[in-house]
Amino acid sequence: MTTANTTGSQGQSGSRLRGAVAAVRWASRKPQFWFGASIILPTLIWYWMFSFRPILNALRLAVVQYRVLNPAASKFVGMDNFLQLFEHPLFFISVRNTLLWAALAFVFILPLSIFIATCLANVRRGRNTYQAIIFVPVVVSLVAVSLLFRMLMDPEVGMFNQILRALHLPESRWLAGTSSALPTIVAVGSWKGLGFYVVILTAGILHIPEELYDAALVDGASEWQRFWRITLPLLGHTLLLVTVLLAIGTLQEFTFPFVMTRGGPGDATYVYNMLIYSEAFEDLRFGTATAAALLQFGLILFISLVQIRLLRPRWSY
Amino acid sequence: MAASEEIELVSPLQGSKYRPSPRRLVGQAILHLILLAMSFVSVTPFVWMVFASFKHFQELVRSTALLPQVWTLENYIEIIGRVNFPAAFSNSTLQATSVTLCSALTSAALGFIFAKYRFWGKEKLFTLLLSTMMIPFAVVLVPLYITIADLKMSNHLSGIIVTGLWSSFGLFLMRQFMESIPSELLDAARIDGASEWRIFFTLVLPMATSALAALIVFIFLFNWDNFLWPLVVLNSPEKQTLPLVLAGLRSLYWTRYEMWAAGSMLTVVPVMVIYIFASKYFIRGLAMTGLKA
Repeated sequence: MTTANTTGSQGQSGSRLRGAVAAVRWASRKPQFWFGASIILPTLIWYWMFSFRPILNALRLAVVQYRVLNPAASKFVGMDNFLQLFEHPLFFISVRNTLLWAALAFVFILPLSIFIATCLANVRRGRNTYQAIIFVPVVVSLVAVSLLFRMLMDPEVGMFNQILRALHLPESRWLAGTSSALPTIVAVGSWKGLGFYVVILTAGILHIPEELYDAALVDGASEWQRFWRITLPLLGHTLLLVTVLLAIGTLQEFTFPFVMTRGGPGDATYVYNMLIYSEAFEDLRFGTATAAALLQFGLILFISLVQIRLLRPRWSY
Repeated sequence: MAASEEIELVSPLQGSKYRPSPRRLVGQAILHLILLAMSFVSVTPFVWMVFASFKHFQELVRSTALLPQVWTLENYIEIIGRVNFPAAFSNSTLQATSVTLCSALTSAALGFIFAKYRFWGKEKLFTLLLSTMMIPFAVVLVPLYITIADLKMSNHLSGIIVTGLWSSFGLFLMRQFMESIPSELLDAARIDGASEWRIFFTLVLPMATSALAALIVFIFLFNWDNFLWPLVVLNSPEKQTLPLVLAGLRSLYWTRYEMWAAGSMLTVVPVMVIYIFASKYFIRGLAMTGLKA
């Protein structure tokens, strides 16, 4: 009674309109109504202005040739923006780089974060301290990290190559080499993001009921078996979350390549979001940029759904 | 008695569970070694950066020693004089704090309403609001920019503040948390004659402190660090936020790394100070979200 705002059972007798009016009148006498309305109303206005309307506008922008100076005169061009996009010299390169980025990030982050999370879950003392330290790169500004690693990886005077030189090991061109740039930049990104996934996975592992491990222990299961037969399968929901977040994040990478390499050397680290950015704000082709973004949305949605389909566990506890 | 019997029973299989055996100790030692190595990898680059910011250029590029031979503050003095760091700092602070406070408040109020009120279309509305989280930012990048330009907010700090006043992620997090507040408590307060506003501010908000702290740290760091949206909205140097100014150092100082280090320090230190005090909330909040999502 105290938490009901409006009610659905009012319209049984009389016309529906009269029922609705009565319901509103009844509801507006409740203190909750005014509190709720004064929060929900601005919320709806804000969401309309800065979320729903831009999304709807994106659908419109993608099919017109947008005229920046006179938007009303924008011409409907149908699928032309998409066709123009496919003809962009950097389109396929950026798609390839982005997919490669995501794949490399999976390889770098997933096994290592599961490994570190397992260590964290099993260590008896200092778990919180270790977690807090491993999390540090996550909170430090992306731009600062980008600059920091550009300094460390300078082929001539950078710390990395100076150490390799001192150890008489072959040096690397790091970000300056055409073939080494992408793996290097993904490695830096993974280094920064690792702590995030470690924290989620550690929480997931610690959430697994202790009794299962005790039972396995009594049955004489080795640590290796316990990891593969209990931890990994029961981590299903968390692993799904991590892989989806990882895919969504890496397919939208922008700041790292933009600050660290500007997509170079050549176009070795030119990713899809840089294409969208330069289409929109360097070439002022708003239509093509938005078409590109919608295409990206489609791909991300598709990949997430595939992941959920393939990885979603059919149980819960 | 019972306990000792249990040990007798189990020890043939796996005694290590109950008594720290040498094998167990070695195992723990290996875990510590791995985690120490990982911690080392996580922080060493920053430690290097801290010292690099106090070095002269010549020393920075020649020696591999971690500590500076000659300590200097010149880098900081030069960078503050040449680049408008104080302005960028106040822009960033103003933007991040106003967005954080406002969206934390709206998230908490909405979380409370969606968790504890019943009204027509509630679940549908909730799904609708949350579904916006799925849309990549690139999709709304251009239309949102057009909106901001139409409102005459481009190249103005308000342009990056107004877009952050609500947060779907915050709404999700706060609703999850508010579900656990007992409705009886709210009803008791209502019977005592407390208004909904009073209940929200004096009962609900204090009970949600831990979730709210996590959310505040999340949103603050995200905004402090945000790059793409400010890059699009803010053009003139005196309006820019710290990440933009910092990224600009790359072309301004080409390869004068000691300046990069000093500039990065100015950006990173405030965040690190907050992190040192709030890391507990942050990690707990993230772990909680991960388990519930």
